[in-house]
Amino acid sequence: MKGRLALASIVVVAIAFGATFGLVRFLLGREYHPPLRSATEEPAPRQQALRDEAAAQAKADREKPYQEETYRRFPVVGSRVAVWVIAQLHLLFAAFVLAVPIFALIIEFIGWLNGDSRYDRLAHEFTRLLSVSFSLTATFGAFLLFMLVVLYPKFMNYLTHVFSPTFAPYVLLFFAEAFFLYTYYYGWGKFPPVVHLLLGLGLNIVGTGIMMIANAWLTFMMTPAGISESGAVISTWQAVHNYTWMPINIHRLIANVAFGGSVAAAYAAFKFLGAKTDEERAHYDWMGYIGNFVAICAFLPLPFAGYYLASEIYAYSQALGIQMMGGAFSWLFIIQAVLIGNLFLGANYYLWLGMGRVDAANRFQGYIKYLLIAVALCFAVWATPRSIIATVSETRAMGGASHPQLGYLGVMSAKNTAVNILILTTYVSFLLYRRSGRIPTVSWARLGNALQVAISGLAATVVIFLGVLGYFVEARVRIGLSVPQVGSVLFAMVAVTAIDVLMYRRAKSLGETHWGRIHPVSQYVLIFLAVTFTWMMGLMGYVRSGLRQHWHVYGVMRDTSVDAFTPTLGFATRVVSATVLAFFLLIGFVFWLASLSDRPARVHEPAP
Amino acid sequence: MRVPVTLKILALTVTTTAFYTIVGQLVPQKEVLPPKETALKKEMTQAEMVKAGKDIMEGKGICFTCHTLGKQGALRFPDLAGIGARAGQRVAGLSDVQYLAQSIYDPNAFIVPGFNPGMPVINKPPIGLTDDEIKAVVAYLQSLGGQVTVTMDSKLWPLDQAKAATAVPTKGPATP
Repeated sequence: MKGRLALASIVVVAIAFGATFGLVRFLLGREYHPPLRSATEEPAPRQQALRDEAAAQAKADREKPYQEETYRRFPVVGSRVAVWVIAQLHLLFAAFVLAVPIFALIIEFIGWLNGDSRYDRLAHEFTRLLSVSFSLTATFGAFLLFMLVVLYPKFMNYLTHVFSPTFAPYVLLFFAEAFFLYTYYYGWGKFPPVVHLLLGLGLNIVGTGIMMIANAWLTFMMTPAGISESGAVISTWQAVHNYTWMPINIHRLIANVAFGGSVAAAYAAFKFLGAKTDEERAHYDWMGYIGNFVAICAFLPLPFAGYYLASEIYAYSQALGIQMMGGAFSWLFIIQAVLIGNLFLGANYYLWLGMGRVDAANRFQGYIKYLLIAVALCFAVWATPRSIIATVSETRAMGGASHPQLGYLGVMSAKNTAVNILILTTYVSFLLYRRSGRIPTVSWARLGNALQVAISGLAATVVIFLGVLGYFVEARVRIGLSVPQVGSVLFAMVAVTAIDVLMYRRAKSLGETHWGRIHPVSQYVLIFLAVTFTWMMGLMGYVRSGLRQHWHVYGVMRDTSVDAFTPTLGFATRVVSATVLAFFLLIGFVFWLASLSDRPARVHEPAP
Repeated sequence: MRVPVTLKILALTVTTTAFYTIVGQLVPQKEVLPPKETALKKEMTQAEMVKAGKDIMEGKGICFTCHTLGKQGALRFPDLAGIGARAGQRVAGLSDVQYLAQSIYDPNAFIVPGFNPGMPVINKPPIGLTDDEIKAVVAYLQSLGGQVTVTMDSKLWPLDQAKAATAVPTKGPATP
């Protein structure tokens, strides 16, 4: 049977080959042949036409003018979304790579000071996540650069015109970053501690320098300076030192630490949930706690850095500021309110769950419900919009686009008050956690407690009073009220902490802290916080960039591409979500790689 | 059946992201397009200029991002209702047209008491209205409680040339 099939196949192939050959010969035989001519060299009409056509093409090629491309198209999703996603992924990894060394160095420094090797191990474990993340940051950075050069050549040409003197320092710093990062990581335990700490310091300084140069480029796009009316560069330094450069530097530095801490805590949670022994669980519980502590500590002053940035945007252009807070992007801040509310809820919940680790912590359990009420109320105020979508009849019934009562909660006076109280409440949660399991022994403990309550209460009163006052004063006075509100909360946090540190210096222990003794839900809370932080970074990155609307460089270079419009918030949030999911897939890969070093090496049996 | 931890983390990540995406769909969905150009002709009547000026203020001029019309209370920028009547009395020596032209070409020359400086120069980017567009805007502003005197032939800037378009100052309240 097999033999017959083989024979039949050969016959079929032979027939097919013969048929193809015959068809080709037939077609070639039908090609136009010029008639037989006498000795004249005159070409046939078809040949002449072909020659003329080739000559015309050659002439057109020679005379083709050079035209600089303004835009090129990226298939399917378009250039804007493609650049958006790659830029966001680059920024997320860059934020992580810049943030981890900051708190790794601090933890290593604490370990060096108190001689506790656990801190050194913890810092080393944090930096384990760095090397792969650094490679991914560089890869996405190169990818972003190629995308911009290919898709937005004219715009990149202009940025090069303004910022070319900053490129060489950037590259040099990048080399220095690689040197410090790999020496810091691979040199762990190989150098004297002070040398190693100095390497870490160098890594942080260089990393911050890189960030500040890149920040100059992007802030120039929003608040350009140092150029003539036609856009010609007058001073590169002024272009760098534009209105929003320093606010963005500060805001990003703090936000990076918050984000990096949350992702590192998520790594610890991932390891905790997969831990096989109590010792592992204890270590990763502690690591998660420290990561989250870092994230929340950085998160608390972040709104203040945000005020500074917003005030500089207003100072540069009132129209730009109003566009941000009251125009096309105003509803984005309602989404942000949901995110921040969730962050505060999650952070507080984690602290409350963490009390389970500590013996005799239940004496503070009774306070939690009041803290929860405060957090929920502030969340509700912040998430209340000024104007709401309503039918014509509903609008008439309300007497306008704003609700007659709830509308008052939609303005900045209410929102500033809510966020300040939220920060204060979260701080109180942390304070209770810090005190659980200990009792002060100093003689002035009662006075200290009273002082702490008085300072916190006074700060809350000032915040609420100024918030209410904001409804009755002129705009220029109202804007200024946020400063004393913020100042009173910061003062309260610093003063209460100082008292607490002194008061609990030789505190009596009521029980031990059992690291690892915490409900597993707490670890999912850490992951939830990391996803929320990441999502918020994506959203706020969008508003910062999208604020320029139909301008590549605000007021200087207009966007004339097909994407020169501001998309709906629904679309923007879908892009943000896609980016966040891509980031977590990649960071999951980083976690997995970092975990490989814990696994025992395979034993190769010798070949027989 | 025991669900692997990795799967639980993945589910949590996807669910959290999906939740925020849904929140993003619940807020008002609005695309903001680049401002449209308003067609202006040299032979426009004052009524046509007023209509064009209104369109420009609502569109390319983005005037109502900051200013309001008929709103009272603690405002960030002056309300423009009745500005046509008030303009001629704002600054001594300046007619209504001169005052309105100065507010647009050199907005920091005079700040209405109680307000902060903050208005950008309107004939420069990012707004960048042309001289003709500004004439239409001035016509519209004059129409808010005053008498329209500006025409497409008027010269508004520099200020001394704006006298040609000046009418007798109209009476009205002196407050913003």
